[in-house]
Amino acid sequence: MSARRRSQAFAAFILVCVAVAATAIGLAARDSVPTSGAPVVPAAARDVLVRAQADERSVLLFRSLDRRQPKTYGQVAVTSLDDPSKPRRLVPLRCDRVHFQAGRGVCIARGSSFAAGFKVKLFGERFRVQREFAVKGVPSRARVSPDGRYGSVTLFVGGHSYAVAGMFSTQTTLIDLERNMRIGDLESFSVSHRGRRVTARDRNFWGVTFAPDSDTFYATMATGDKTYLVRGSVSKRRAQTIHENIECPSLSPDGTRIGYKKRVGTGTKLWRLHVLDLATMRETQLAEERVIDDQVEWLDGGRLLYRVDEEVWAVAANGSGRPRRFAASGDSPGVVRARTPPNG
Amino acid sequence: MYNVSASSEVIRGHRRLLARRDQEPRVHRTVVLLGLTSLFTDISSEMVVAVLPLYLVFVGGFSPLAFGVIDGLYQGATALVRLASGYIGDRWHRHKDVAAAGYGLSALCKLALATAGTAVSAIGAIVLIDRIGKGIRTAPRDAMISLSTPPEQLGTAFGVHRALDTTGALLGPIAAFGLLALVPFGFGTIFIVSFCFAMIGVGILVLLVPRGRATAVKDPTPAPAPSVRGAFGLLRQRRFTAFVVAGGALSLATASDAFIFLALEERLDLGTTLFPLLFVGSAGTYMLLAVPIGRLADRVGRGRVLLGGYGLLLGVYLALLAPLEGIALAAAVLGLLGAYYAATDGVLMALGSAVVPDELRGSGLALLGTATSIARLLASIAFGALWTLTDIETAIACFVAALLVALALAAATLVRSREPLHVR
Repeated sequence: MSARRRSQAFAAFILVCVAVAATAIGLAARDSVPTSGAPVVPAAARDVLVRAQADERSVLLFRSLDRRQPKTYGQVAVTSLDDPSKPRRLVPLRCDRVHFQAGRGVCIARGSSFAAGFKVKLFGERFRVQREFAVKGVPSRARVSPDGRYGSVTLFVGGHSYAVAGMFSTQTTLIDLERNMRIGDLESFSVSHRGRRVTARDRNFWGVTFAPDSDTFYATMATGDKTYLVRGSVSKRRAQTIHENIECPSLSPDGTRIGYKKRVGTGTKLWRLHVLDLATMRETQLAEERVIDDQVEWLDGGRLLYRVDEEVWAVAANGSGRPRRFAASGDSPGVVRARTPPNG
Repeated sequence: MYNVSASSEVIRGHRRLLARRDQEPRVHRTVVLLGLTSLFTDISSEMVVAVLPLYLVFVGGFSPLAFGVIDGLYQGATALVRLASGYIGDRWHRHKDVAAAGYGLSALCKLALATAGTAVSAIGAIVLIDRIGKGIRTAPRDAMISLSTPPEQLGTAFGVHRALDTTGALLGPIAAFGLLALVPFGFGTIFIVSFCFAMIGVGILVLLVPRGRATAVKDPTPAPAPSVRGAFGLLRQRRFTAFVVAGGALSLATASDAFIFLALEERLDLGTTLFPLLFVGSAGTYMLLAVPIGRLADRVGRGRVLLGGYGLLLGVYLALLAPLEGIALAAAVLGLLGAYYAATDGVLMALGSAVVPDELRGSGLALLGTATSIARLLASIAFGALWTLTDIETAIACFVAALLVALALAAATLVRSREPLHVR
């Protein structure tokens, strides 16, 4: 090829590259899914939780991830616990993580643009947002205490491209849902390990779960290359380590066991789901063999729910049986339990 | 698209810079074209690097911890490949083809990312292949730069290449986040656009860069094809070994810039939004100084400039330990860090190029590059361990001591190696 022909070929080649890039951007900009703003739904949809409570029905509240209906992707939905394959009711809220208990909910949602980051929205049983505040990082976990008094959100901050492999940090904030106020960052709590106060600067917390009394909470604390289960008190702003190698704890409804991710390997075999008996500290490995990166949710006293790809799966809490698909196209599962009178 | 115009601005800037003084020799066209290839390739790969963690966490629902596992594959994957590709380029006189294969492989990886979904194993494999592509292209590309440049201009030539390369590294994240603003969460679009940038880089190399050593260097006497033994025989050559030893020792005392940024962040309390600006500060300095310092190296001696560069790194460490604050601290650390890169990265390759015979250029530069990158990897591990076991000040203080020892060793080695031969 002569120099001239080469230049012409190059010019043509550049044109093709630019055209492909421009087409890709144009198409994507046209089809981009709405990522924020309250979706429009029939007014009656707002009452779905209120009606369930009136009928003393427990329901599943989760993120709907139906790719066939991209406009609803990420929208919160409610469905029957007995038959989750029944049509879901979409509600007017879009979240990346969501959890709801006893009349109060926490939602981590995207802001209006990528640059706007994420917001935590506190909402009531009719999905009206009562308070929202901006947060830094990428949504990881959201939890509400069984009595709806406290909430907690975990976000990943750091873990960006310029950091060293494996180095990342999380920020876990406790929220007073009665007063719609932030209580503070777990890193400001005093934590002790074997009687000594933990002062390491690299400590990180994630994945809070609340006990039925709601003042007691459990969470993961990481320092160095170890993770610990901590138990603490919200009012005393204090916690202590009680077990090692536990991530994303989730307390059973009766408060006796903790479902969690245990680090068992490396690479693609990083975690296995386990259950810890708090009375005996005995660990039970569950039948789910895939790597699960989620904070599990107790379906009832004997089964756990969690996300696998874009589906909700369930497995027995005693290590028996086999995992099975619980609900299609969804994640962030939460069981909104029927409020029954105490001792009845 | 604004990147294309912006980068041609940069080129014009460089051309002007190079053409300004008539007595100053212009770098060969091949060097500028290879610089442009690197520029577009870096835009492409830095776009992906900037958003890959976000992609995995947002779309894949993975924690950055899982990403760390993937990122670990990056390291070390390239060392052996680099040696092999340097040798193959020498053996069959096919530096350009080997380099094109490396650039092409990395480009295809961007396309694969767009279709792979978020399975960690698939992304891990793609990232690994991408790094292999980088390993393949580095040595033959540096060999081509050095073979198309007269020995007395090697510092300038590598400076021009590195300046263009760094320009791409700066533009990549800007392009990625610009696209994210335009198409929220449009990661697939980013990968496709990244692929297009990579293909432009490949196109420049394949269609515009002249093949082989069609240059004004020496008389092109065909040399016999080198053997593997011949390639490793370089290590018996005293001057070359001196560079490997000096470069390796200095690299062993080099804290990776990731650590330096983290240390700086601790002192500045920046928050994560401003964190990337640290990279912009040091890379911007590197970009601006690469050509002038490369030229300086050609004039006053590359060994001196290399040692001076590590003196600047010593300055970075000391600035981090000094009672500086705020802007003054950031400016001192980032300025010194950028100048350190400008005075060492390309200059070491220029040093090596001047003593490796033409027919072994790829292998020689690959040996030099591999030795320093392995040493740097070991240094990162050591620094991380020191930081974990003690604190950041102690870790830096240890590296100050190590760097002083390495500087003394390197200076002694470089001076002694000069005695038998006098090459400039």
